[in-house]
Amino acid sequence: MLNYIRAEIYKVLHRPYTYIALGVMLALEALYASMFAFHNAHSMATPFGGAIITIVEMGVIGFCTCLLTGDIVFAGQYKNSTLKNEVSFGLSRARIYLGKFIAQTLLSIVYLVVMMAFFLGLCAVCLPMESESAAFYATSKALTIVGYFLSVGLPLWIGAQAALCMCLFLVNGEMASSFLYVGIVFVLETFIDLAGLLIQGPVGNALLKAVPYFPVQMLNGAKSVVGDVSYLGRAWLVGAFWVIVCTAVGLYGFNRKEIK
Amino acid sequence: MNDNTAVMAAYGLKKAYGGCMALDGVNMQVRRGDIYGLVGRNGAGKTTLMRLATGQSDPTGGEMELFGAAGREMRPKRSRTGAMIEIPSFSPFLTARENLEYYRLQRGIPGRHVVDEVLEQVDLAGTGKKKFKSFSLGMKQRLGLALALMNHPDFLILDEPINGLDPEGVAEFRQILRSLNREMETTILISSHILSELSNVATRYGFMEQGKILEEISAEALHDKCRTCLRLEVDDASRAAAVLQTELGTDRFEVLPGNVVQLYDCLDDPKRASYALAQNGVALLAMEQKGADLEAYFLDLIGGGHHA
Repeated sequence: MLNYIRAEIYKVLHRPYTYIALGVMLALEALYASMFAFHNAHSMATPFGGAIITIVEMGVIGFCTCLLTGDIVFAGQYKNSTLKNEVSFGLSRARIYLGKFIAQTLLSIVYLVVMMAFFLGLCAVCLPMESESAAFYATSKALTIVGYFLSVGLPLWIGAQAALCMCLFLVNGEMASSFLYVGIVFVLETFIDLAGLLIQGPVGNALLKAVPYFPVQMLNGAKSVVGDVSYLGRAWLVGAFWVIVCTAVGLYGFNRKEIK
Repeated sequence: MNDNTAVMAAYGLKKAYGGCMALDGVNMQVRRGDIYGLVGRNGAGKTTLMRLATGQSDPTGGEMELFGAAGREMRPKRSRTGAMIEIPSFSPFLTARENLEYYRLQRGIPGRHVVDEVLEQVDLAGTGKKKFKSFSLGMKQRLGLALALMNHPDFLILDEPINGLDPEGVAEFRQILRSLNREMETTILISSHILSELSNVATRYGFMEQGKILEEISAEALHDKCRTCLRLEVDDASRAAAVLQTELGTDRFEVLPGNVVQLYDCLDDPKRASYALAQNGVALLAMEQKGADLEAYFLDLIGGGHHA
């Protein structure tokens, strides 16, 4: 497995798309930070803290970044018919699947760290740091909120990554698998919510109870319970559930798939 | 080198796509040391057979063995094989060296020099920073072969490997196959539409048609069957045989059903044979000089009319 992950990292590092995608993300962050600085630098009491707290409003970007990192690692293996090179050498399909998933997750974490560090660094450079003790306290609190939000977000983003990995392996074509991913992560919860409202009785109630456990819902819910350790624990359980279920379904389907 | 140990074997192997039987009870054996030429026209099932051998799809019936292992046990044995099935496929955004390095890391093959050696072997060492997407078909074929050779396989599975190669490339490729077979004792299963080229390297043949192996035959036996002869159609084959023995002093002939005698002597003077038969009261109804190459033999086997 280590060999497989090493090879995936080698491929990702030699792919221009990796750097272009990251560059675009960082450029968007830079644009956002500079616009924030331009509009709020003199109107806010705590401009630095005020800027970084907006990270909690951008959780959805994490789910979208999964699409990028998944695509970078999967690298059109169905389109380019390269999976046959791996299968014909006798690599197990489980190794191929899990190797790609782990590589995707590692790349997502690297993207997350680089993007966070870049954004925080940019805010520190572009926006005046608070000096008064009250303002400093506000900034510390903002960092705590962001830290908690990221701790909740990480397992949920990994769960979403597992969903994307499943889609990439089950559906030929990146476009179709991206649509399926968007359907599962962003749209399915709405349908279940709607079904829960329409269906009366215990089934409807069960559906309504399931909605808050969808990754996007769970992440949005974190904003109002900052510091709640049990919520954090639930987020990790939900993330683990999504990883296990999506990986099991993806592996089952991939094992039965004809490689062309 | 050649022994009876089967490197790959199929027993009643079946593969169906929907209602269509791509393989319909294939029985075959590729023995250690063979260069096994798989001959068949488009859709005969050659690629499907190779795809099953490489684990790209699963059979719907029958059994396949690789190095004596069957079923799930086959998968680890595939690390002893090298394969090039259909068009070689690689990451388009990587160079030849980067693509091979990726697979070297993935397969845990030690030593970076392996990549340079194998690129040298297939004459792709000078491609530099050129990406795979800009390669010609011939270059892609060479890179596909390089990947198949990288792990020094005991068994090579090659599907139409000389498509797109220029004449020089074909000659080099033939040389590589021969030296692998002789020096490294690599067993090779190869399919090609270019039957004349296949006949230059194959030591054994399997003829496929409609998902079945019609015949397996060694190159020597095929050579014997295809050698030039005089085909004599007579009224009494046994008397004709006696005449050929006594009058021409030869036993290089075969008596076939339908009062046909195939004579492998007198090819440069057929009149001698006809005269001897006539002198001894054997009526010669027809006489023709006959000889066949691999293509003619194959067409004859499948009933003619179609190209492989």
